[in-house]
Amino acid sequence: MGEPAIDTDFVRERLAFFKGARFKTWLDICAHCGYCSDSCFFYTAHDKDPKYMPAYKVIQTLGKLYKKKGEVSREELEKMAEIAYGDCTACRRCSLYCPFGIDIAVMIAAVRGICCSQGLAPKALMEAAKNHLEFGNQMAITTEEMIETCEWMEEENEEEMPGLKIPVDKQGCDTLYVLNAREVKFYPQDIAEAAMIFHAAGENWTFPSMGWDMTNLGMFAGHAKIMAHAAKLCFDAAERLGVKRIFTSE
Amino acid sequence: MYEFVTGPLAWVAFGIFVIGMIVKAISVIRLASKKDKVVFNHWSWSWSFRSVYRWLIPFGSRSMREKPVLTTAFFVFHICLLAIPIFLLGHNILWDERWGITWWSFSETTADYLTLLFVAAAVVLILRRLLLADMRIVTTAYDYLLLAIVAAPFVTGYFAYHQWFDYKTVLIIHILCGEIMLIAIPFTKLSHMLLFFLTRAHIGSEMGQRRGAKTW
Repeated sequence: MGEPAIDTDFVRERLAFFKGARFKTWLDICAHCGYCSDSCFFYTAHDKDPKYMPAYKVIQTLGKLYKKKGEVSREELEKMAEIAYGDCTACRRCSLYCPFGIDIAVMIAAVRGICCSQGLAPKALMEAAKNHLEFGNQMAITTEEMIETCEWMEEENEEEMPGLKIPVDKQGCDTLYVLNAREVKFYPQDIAEAAMIFHAAGENWTFPSMGWDMTNLGMFAGHAKIMAHAAKLCFDAAERLGVKRIFTSE
Repeated sequence: MYEFVTGPLAWVAFGIFVIGMIVKAISVIRLASKKDKVVFNHWSWSWSFRSVYRWLIPFGSRSMREKPVLTTAFFVFHICLLAIPIFLLGHNILWDERWGITWWSFSETTADYLTLLFVAAAVVLILRRLLLADMRIVTTAYDYLLLAIVAAPFVTGYFAYHQWFDYKTVLIIHILCGEIMLIAIPFTKLSHMLLFFLTRAHIGSEMGQRRGAKTW
């Protein structure tokens, strides 16, 4: 029972797709100067272990993929996935430290996209990411549960702040408030606290019944379809409710 | 031989350098307009200009300030690299004879010391690659080859000025090294001479215009 083979044609097609002016120039001119090393917290936190040097991480992943024209074995791609998901958070700090402004995180994200397409994204991450498609949020919270949570928080804080409302799907507000799914699931008091601030400030705001989770796990996993879906849910809510701005705490 | 390397071959070298750089710039910008739309939808001349400017002045960015030894070597290397050939008395006399153009030049002693300074900076850059673990892991033979291509005209020029070995031969080798460097620029990592401005402007806009973060 062997692992499925790598779809080399698909990998090659992705590599060609990514190779625009930015990727080509970045890969062409990196002078291996070492300015990026100390910008990386993986590097400094591991006592300056050179394998965490940002440029090296790209050389070992995307660099290798281009060099081998996508012809990599499963083991090789697994190693690349370990680097792309495990040794880099795609925080983009290194691109601020690079004299050429090479956007290493964008290239790591491209590697994640390739790894994800070959089933090499971390399992737990992919499971949670798939919840975006089914539930519209990564923590599989249903709309009923979410509305109940909002009502519960209104009641809970009635005494402290009379008239406190957490309006769901109210049309024509100024502000659409969206957040981290964790707040609904584990820290509902965070929603109440945000509501108190809006209430005290006299803000005309609402909370969408769908598209309120701003933790885009599709983006972290490198799954373009889920990434677009999660982002679109929020934009759709903003259009549907006719708000002026989207306000996010995540 | 001397007539050939300072005549037709010099024209070829300068021609390849100039045309190569123009072609490079146009092809990169054309490819970007086709495949990299994100470069343009947040383009900002102000953020681009500031980003480029901060990285052109010594210690102008936080990254540079955090690595003072590298930054010093890096700027001495690049400033000497550009200034010595342009403001060298011998070169000025040469193009005064050939094309009747001339401008201000260094005294011979100044140029002599600057060349030593340049070589010292190159040695620091090589030592970093040899001694530091993070540099060793990314350095390839190609990096040393490029350093050699860039340093060769200066080392041979120093030899020629001091008339060590056979002057005529050393001078021709010096000119050839300079021409090899010019020809190599558009086709190697040395093209960063031009592409630096494009990538720097892009990241300046990307971080600045998109999210208000400065890249220096």
